[in-house]
Amino acid sequence: MTRITIGQYYPSDSVIHRIDPRFKLLATMFYITSLFFVNHFGGYGVAAVFILFLVKLAKVPVLFLLRGLRAILFILCFAVVLNLFMTPGENVLFAFGFLRVTMEGVNMATQMAVRLILLITGSSILTLTTSPIQLTDGIESLLKPLKIIKVPAHDIAMMMTIALRFIPTLAEEMDKIMKAQKARGADLDTGGLIKRAKSLLPILVPLFVSAFKRADELATAMEARCYRGDVGRTRMKVLRLAGRDWIAAVVVTIYGVALFMTRLL
Amino acid sequence: MIKTDKIYFAYPGTGQTPDVLKEIDISIKSGEFVAILGHNGSGKSTLARHLNALLMPTQGTLWINGKDTKERENLWTIRQTVGMVFQNPDNQIIATVVEEDVAFGPENLGVSPAEIRQRVDETLATVGMESFALSAPHNLSGGQKQRVAIAGVLAMRPDCIVLDEPTAMLDPAGRREVLETVTRLNQEGITVILITHFMEEAVLAKRVIVMHDGEVVLDDTPRGVFSQVETMREYVLSVPPVTALAHKLRESGLDVAEDIMTVEEFVQDTAIQKALTTPSPSVIPGLTQVAGVSSKNDLLLRPAQDSITISTVGGIPSQGRDDREKVVTQIKNLTHTYSPGSVFEMTALNDINLSINQGEMVALIGHTGSGKSTLIQHLNGLLKPTSGQILIEGEDIAADKTKLKALRQKVGLVFQYPEHQLFEPTVYKDVAFGPTRMGLTPEEIESQTKKSLTTVGLGEEFYEKSPFELSGGEKRRAAIAGVLAMGPKILILDEPTAGLDPQGRREILAQIKKMHTELGITVILVSHSMDDAARLTDRIIVLNQGNLLYDDTPSQVFSQAETLLKIGLDIPQISRLAARLGELNPAIPSNIFTIDALADCILGVAK
Repeated sequence: MTRITIGQYYPSDSVIHRIDPRFKLLATMFYITSLFFVNHFGGYGVAAVFILFLVKLAKVPVLFLLRGLRAILFILCFAVVLNLFMTPGENVLFAFGFLRVTMEGVNMATQMAVRLILLITGSSILTLTTSPIQLTDGIESLLKPLKIIKVPAHDIAMMMTIALRFIPTLAEEMDKIMKAQKARGADLDTGGLIKRAKSLLPILVPLFVSAFKRADELATAMEARCYRGDVGRTRMKVLRLAGRDWIAAVVVTIYGVALFMTRLL
Repeated sequence: MIKTDKIYFAYPGTGQTPDVLKEIDISIKSGEFVAILGHNGSGKSTLARHLNALLMPTQGTLWINGKDTKERENLWTIRQTVGMVFQNPDNQIIATVVEEDVAFGPENLGVSPAEIRQRVDETLATVGMESFALSAPHNLSGGQKQRVAIAGVLAMRPDCIVLDEPTAMLDPAGRREVLETVTRLNQEGITVILITHFMEEAVLAKRVIVMHDGEVVLDDTPRGVFSQVETMREYVLSVPPVTALAHKLRESGLDVAEDIMTVEEFVQDTAIQKALTTPSPSVIPGLTQVAGVSSKNDLLLRPAQDSITISTVGGIPSQGRDDREKVVTQIKNLTHTYSPGSVFEMTALNDINLSINQGEMVALIGHTGSGKSTLIQHLNGLLKPTSGQILIEGEDIAADKTKLKALRQKVGLVFQYPEHQLFEPTVYKDVAFGPTRMGLTPEEIESQTKKSLTTVGLGEEFYEKSPFELSGGEKRRAAIAGVLAMGPKILILDEPTAGLDPQGRREILAQIKKMHTELGITVILVSHSMDDAARLTDRIIVLNQGNLLYDDTPSQVFSQAETLLKIGLDIPQISRLAARLGELNPAIPSNIFTIDALADCILGVAK
C-alpha cells in the first residue's frame, strides 16, 4: 500500500532531474500525443528506445519504473481482453461460440498493451524525476496565461502539491485502520458486493474523519507560516531555461521526426 | 515582547459559549524560555494560537512587540515574528522535499530567491538536518520531522517560537532531539514558549505558567511552581518524580528542601547527604522487600538471545505462581522481512524467541522502528512470519487459516491512537462492533459490551453519545473497550498513553491494571515510556533493531542505563536517582523505580 510509485518522486541528481519542469511537462504532453499517431510497430520501437534512453539518463532503477505498472495491471488486462475478442476482422484465428479471435484483434490488443505501457512509463519518468513542487511550479507557470480568464493557476498547483504530499501518509493510515478493524473482527475479503461495500464503512469513516482533521491542522499550520495564496509570494527555485533545456528540445525533436518517419514505412 | 491585557476568548457558536480564556494578564520578555502547563482543555493551546494571531481575543488586547493582534495590517508581521510548531509533525509539513518545506515560510513572505536559499541552508544546519535537505518528509522519524518544522519556522527569522506539545507524539530519542534544539535556540536569543504535558520538560524552562480552566493560576520559576506539590495536584497536574519524592520525604519528617527539581539537586541536598552518609547499621532487615525487589536481585542480567526459551524467573512474585506457569504465547525463531527481494528489503525482526505465561503483565519496549509493532501484529495473525512459528495456547496459528477469526478474538490488539478507529454513530454500537462480528448471540453481545464499558469506566450516560463528542481520554477508553468486548484472553496495547495529559495517562494505566487483576487477562503493554512499564509490569522485554536485547525484571533492565540510552530509550528518573544515591550509601539498592519504594528505602536508612 505504501509503495505507490505513480506520482512518486525518486530523488537523484541526473540531467533529466535538472531539466526545467515546464519543458518536461510540455515534452511529456508531446510524447503522449505522439503515441496516438503511431501506425506501425516501428513507431513503438522508436518510443521504447527513447524511453529506455531517458531512464538510463535519469538513473532511475528500471524495477522502480515497472512497479508503477502494477497499479494499471487491471486496466491493462481489461483493455487487452476487450480488444482481443471484440475486434471484428477477416482472419479468424480460432472461435468458440460467439467469441472470435481474429488476427486484427491480436494486432489491436498488442498495440493497445504496448501503447498503455509506453504511456505510463513515459509519464512516470516525468513524476519520478520532477519533485512535486517543481511539477506544480511548472504547471502553475504554464497555466499563468490562463489567469486572464480567471483560472486559479496557483490554487490548482497548491492543491496538487498537498495531494501528492499526503498520498503516502494517507496510504499508511489506511493500512493501519484496516489492520485495526481486522483485529476487531472486521471481515474485508469475503461476502457479496453489498456486504463488501458495507464492510468498507469501518475503514472509510475513520479515514475521512482523519483526513478532515489533517486538512484542518494543515490549514492552520499554513496560515501560521504566513500563507495567503500567491499574493507577494516568491520562490526559492526560480524557473529559468538553461542550455540543457535547449539540448533536450533538440533530442525531443529528433524523437518526433524519427517517429513520424515510421509512418512512412 | 508579548503583553496581554485581560484577554478573554470564547469560540464562536450559537448563544452563550463558555469562555475558554478568562482574564489572561501576562507579559513575556524577549529571550525568555517559558513553559505553559495545564491539563487538556485548560486553554493553553487556545492561548498559543492567540500569540501569532491565528485567533483574536473576544475581549481585551494582545500586543506582540507593541503591535495589536486585532489590527489587520499587523497580521503578517506578527505571524513572522512569532512562529508556531504544532503537535503532529505530519500535519504541518507542506512540501514533499525537506528543503522546499523549509522554504515555504520565506516564500510566503516574499523573500528574494537567493536569500531564501541561504536561510534554508542555514536553518537546516541549525537544527542538524542539513544532510536530509533532499529527503522526503514521510521517510523521516518523528523527531526529525519536528526539527524540520522548527527549521521551517526559523527560516522566517522569528523573534519567538511557540511550540504546542511538540514532543507528545515522539519517542524518548525524538523528544531529546527536539528539546536540545529548542534549548539551544533559546540560548541564541530566541524567545521560546513551550506548551507541554511533561513536567521534566518544563524544568528546562526559566519560567512556568500553569493554566487551569482558562485562567493563569501560577506564574513563577519552575522551582516556585513545582515546590507547590499539593496545588499542582489540585490542577490535575503532576510534578517531576524527584520533586514528588522530596515532598513525600518532607511529609515523613525528613527536612529535604522543597524546591528540588533534578536528580543532582536531590543528591546534593544537605538533609539527604546527612541522612545517607551517617553511618547506618549495615542493611536494614526486610529492606529489599520494601523496595519491591525480588530476592533474586543478585541474578545477573543475561543477554536474552543466549537462552532458547526465556523463562520468567526473576519476574514473577512467588505467590500465585502455579496457575501462571501455563504458557499462553510462544514465539519460536520468529523472523520477519518486509518486501523481501526488492530494493526496500528490510529485516524488522530477527530470530525472536519468547514465551509469555498465562496472566502475566509484560512490557515490550523499544525505540521507533525497533520491531515492536511488527512483533505484536504477528500475535493475532495480521502479519505472517517470514520464518519461525507462533503458538497461542499451544496451537500454531499458521496451521489453520479458518481459525483466524477465533484467534483475533482470543488475542485482542489495541493499536496506537485507537480512537482513530471509532466509526459508529454511538459509543455503544462501536463497542458492540467486535462482539457482533464474532457472531455472538444478542444477549452475549449486550452483556459483553456493557461489561467492557464498565471496566474502562464509561457509564450508561455514554452509551448513546457519539464517539466524536468525547474527550481524548474518553475516546481512547471507548476504543479499548471495543477490543475488550471481544473477550480476549491476551490483550496487547500499543502505546496506550501516547499523547494524553498526566491525568489521562494515570486513568488509562489504572484501568489496564484493573483488567489484568480483575479479569485475569494476560497483558502485553507496548511502550516507550519506561515509567509506565516500571509502574505496571514485572517483566520488561527490550527490542533493538529487530533483536531481543533484554528480557528481565524492570530492576535488572534499568540497571543497564547506558545501553538503554544508547539505543534511544530512557530510564525512569527515580532509577537514575537511586543509582546516584547508591553511591552515597550502599544500603540503597540501585534497582528501585517507584517513588514510594525509594522513599521507604531512604527513610529506612535515615532511621
